[in-house]
Amino acid sequence: MTTAARDILMPAEWRDFWALTKPRVMSLVVFTALCGLLAAPGNIHPIIAFTAVLCIALGAGACGSLNQYYEADVDAKMARTAQRPLPAGRMDREAALHFGVGLAAFSVGIMGVAVNWLSAGLLAFSIFFYSIVYTIWLKPNTPQNIVIGGAAGAFPPVIGWAAVTGDVTLLPVLLFAIIFLWTPPHFWALALFMKTDYGAAGIPMLPNVKGQRVTRNQIFGYSFPMAGAAILPFILGDSGWLYGATSMLLSGVFLVLAFRVWQNEATDAAAMKPEKQLFAFSILYLFLLFALFAIDRMVIA
Amino acid sequence: MTQPGQSPYTAEETALIRKRQAARSRVMGVALVGLCILFFLITVVKVGVWG
Repeated sequence: MTTAARDILMPAEWRDFWALTKPRVMSLVVFTALCGLLAAPGNIHPIIAFTAVLCIALGAGACGSLNQYYEADVDAKMARTAQRPLPAGRMDREAALHFGVGLAAFSVGIMGVAVNWLSAGLLAFSIFFYSIVYTIWLKPNTPQNIVIGGAAGAFPPVIGWAAVTGDVTLLPVLLFAIIFLWTPPHFWALALFMKTDYGAAGIPMLPNVKGQRVTRNQIFGYSFPMAGAAILPFILGDSGWLYGATSMLLSGVFLVLAFRVWQNEATDAAAMKPEKQLFAFSILYLFLLFALFAIDRMVIA
Repeated sequence: MTQPGQSPYTAEETALIRKRQAARSRVMGVALVGLCILFFLITVVKVGVWG
């Protein structure tokens, strides 16, 4: 018996199950869901609100687990993901599958019983969309994977909103649109300086398939409708000046950084400072935008 | 080759397995207690005890 074969028989540590849930992605999901929940009109009991956010977090954890279950072989080929529990051999794949399916069923069931069935249905659809449509169908087959797949990450504020109101109106759809249109420039900026990693794993990200020039054009192109969607709640009168002014300022900075990416001709990752700056700022952008939207809406309320 | 009735693991490996199982049990215990409290609170809110 080899050492590797003996290691796989060891029970996985609880930290490995935690790592399966992709905690950093989960934190962004929880944050945007919480902002959707706080921005929604109406009242929700704090215990039910906590349960709704917990269920969304568990649903995001289920997505992460099912994604890592399916992509274990691909993750092993990329330096960024090779140390995850499955490719590193610290856990067997069936455990990840059972954990992911269990979390998904549990989160949707509790959401339905404790909160409402519209938010449970949206949560179930977002888990299905991320795990099946994005992970299995889109990601390995098309360079537009993260454009369509970005919808999965755009659902949390809509679910948070639906948890309070029991319906979905234009404003949560706008919150959906902001994340949906933010996803391509965010991920393609990463894909530009991680091109060799994705290439080694055989994932058809846009820079590998269409080239860096097309990717930079698309990043800059998507930044405009994203900025428009970010400012629209203010233009439609659904937010105050606090959100209006900061969304314009933040979107302006985003456009400037996207323009610098568009200008850049570097092919070496070491010379891709604008791409790294845009990727880092895009995370801050989304956090600030949603935080200020929730604060602004609460001030109005 | 392992003899019948003999553990396939060394003493160090057995100790490591026990340590991991104990840690997982503790985390599971905390999670279950937390869920019991949450379900109780949800029931109280749904029944309307607190108005």
